[in-house]
Amino acid sequence: MFYRQSGIRHTDYVSDSKLFPIPADRNLLLLILLIALAAPFILAPFYVNSYILPWLIWTAAALGLNLVIGWAGQLHLGYAALMAVGAYTSVHAARFGIPWEGALLIGGALSAVIGSLFAFAALRVKGLYLALTTLALQFVMDWVLSHSPTITGGSHASLQAPTFRLLGQAITSDAGRYYVALGWCVLVTIFLLNLRRTGLGRALVAVREKDYAAAILGVNSFLYKIIAFATSAFIAGISGGILVVCYYFLVTPEQFTVAVSIQLLAMVIVGGLASIIGTYLGVGLILLAPGVVNRLFGALAGYFDLRFSPETFAHIPNAVYGALIIVFLIIEPMGLGKIYRNIRDYLLVWPFDQLKK
Amino acid sequence: MSATSATTASPAQETVLECRGIERRFGGLVAVSGVDMTIDRGEIFGLVGPNGSGKTTLTNAITGFYPPNKGTIVFEGVDITGRRPHRIAALGVARTFQNLALFNGLTVLENIMLGRHIHMRPGVIRTALYWWLARPEEVANRAFCEEIIEFLQLESIRHELVDGLPIGLKKRVELARALAAEPRLLILDEPMAGMNQEEKEYMARFILDARAERGVSVLLIEHHMDVIIGICDRMLALNYGEMIGTGIPRDVIRDPRVVQAYIGDTHAH
Repeated sequence: MFYRQSGIRHTDYVSDSKLFPIPADRNLLLLILLIALAAPFILAPFYVNSYILPWLIWTAAALGLNLVIGWAGQLHLGYAALMAVGAYTSVHAARFGIPWEGALLIGGALSAVIGSLFAFAALRVKGLYLALTTLALQFVMDWVLSHSPTITGGSHASLQAPTFRLLGQAITSDAGRYYVALGWCVLVTIFLLNLRRTGLGRALVAVREKDYAAAILGVNSFLYKIIAFATSAFIAGISGGILVVCYYFLVTPEQFTVAVSIQLLAMVIVGGLASIIGTYLGVGLILLAPGVVNRLFGALAGYFDLRFSPETFAHIPNAVYGALIIVFLIIEPMGLGKIYRNIRDYLLVWPFDQLKK
Repeated sequence: MSATSATTASPAQETVLECRGIERRFGGLVAVSGVDMTIDRGEIFGLVGPNGSGKTTLTNAITGFYPPNKGTIVFEGVDITGRRPHRIAALGVARTFQNLALFNGLTVLENIMLGRHIHMRPGVIRTALYWWLARPEEVANRAFCEEIIEFLQLESIRHELVDGLPIGLKKRVELARALAAEPRLLILDEPMAGMNQEEKEYMARFILDARAERGVSVLLIEHHMDVIIGICDRMLALNYGEMIGTGIPRDVIRDPRVVQAYIGDTHAH
């Protein structure tokens, strides 16, 4: 009923390999994109600047991490370090006088180089050992940043990002920054959507699921793991740069600590491995839920006239937020993306439930 | 299924695979030793032996998973001894696995498309610019895969996840994936294990058709002697990692050593 499938016939391979074979999915997406484009005009600036903008940038970053963890199946605990590489490189390049387009690309490229060089060494081990090795990348980067004032900007360890210009146009308005973040997030999303229907995506899944079976088909698993690491590092680098220039405005080492890496991992796992819509939802939950729970809790406390000590007040929302993650993962270990999928599959055949596969 | 077996008497015998003096040890255990085997073009070659006799070890040596400790393996004139599995695959050797090695998270079609990997050039830029760079390649290879899908009669399940299929179909999907690579040598490791008589006959027919239509040479590991006699041109019997008989199936299975290995002394007749 909601997803009318009757009369949809794909008669050639091009139409059969569409991203969204059912028009309802595509229309829903277009509607969301339309709302996203109109957001600066219909929502209060506060919501756009402090909720939707960071959500978009972190989603782009988390999608890059999902490429390594979800598609290629390699645990990665040093992702924030690669974002830091991109952020610092692009800010330094921009301060040096390179236009921001180039600066962001250089940041992404250096991040990709460091990410793949590192992967070259780290990918000789698998599973938990790889996880620990990637954690080492994070600690090395933390150490480098805290010991090199030339990179981090002297004794204050903070570096101002120069005025953001793209294509000769100074981007100083909230809406402008929002559209840059939206554009980047859309680009990364399109890349990952395409990954579902190309040889690269299939090869990565093959490496993730059974590397010996991948080998017998001619897939060089080491090479494809490196490709996954390099591509995700590139996405991390540019996302880090955009995060600084559009949201933080200055870059400090604390923005990319190990806690951020873990948080990104949580976003991917709560959202669902190899799930794009899930990554959006996962980032939304991890990034926005604490604030929402906090406000909700404050409003409830005010409404019922409850009095808590400030400490309790600070801790209960955190506990609720933690419980929320656990509840979601118990309901559906495959993540929020799978919950969305279940609802969609239900609506696909509703009201004829007996047709369900 | 017996009358259809082709004879080996083709005028110009061309060797596809030649193994000489293969030995593979795991620690102190000698899994395979002193095995010689040649497979000619267009031949269906049977490999039999009791459990643990080294059949799978021999295929793993050929496909590069466990390179032999001694001996050489030559594929179409190229020495492939000790090469990495993905390189050997790229030369035109495909195989299926005894315990199935399909990718359960992918559909039947995606699994078969993975078989085309060595004929495609997937990459990051191509994926990013799908509409311009990747689509022509994807569509062309999809068309090839559809031929295989039609050949193995998998049309109705092409968009289903492999995970939920019955074993007979899974084996067929794995054969399809191997054939999609257009191999010159196809190694089938017990393709009929766990199948009923009807499924076995289907599979035997597919193997014969694959040879006839696609010109592959086949190395077939199988326990069902009726299949071996029915479709294999020549065969090799192993026991405890050593050759105990080779030649035309009807002769080999009468060899006392083969009978002893399979049935045992007391029941020999």
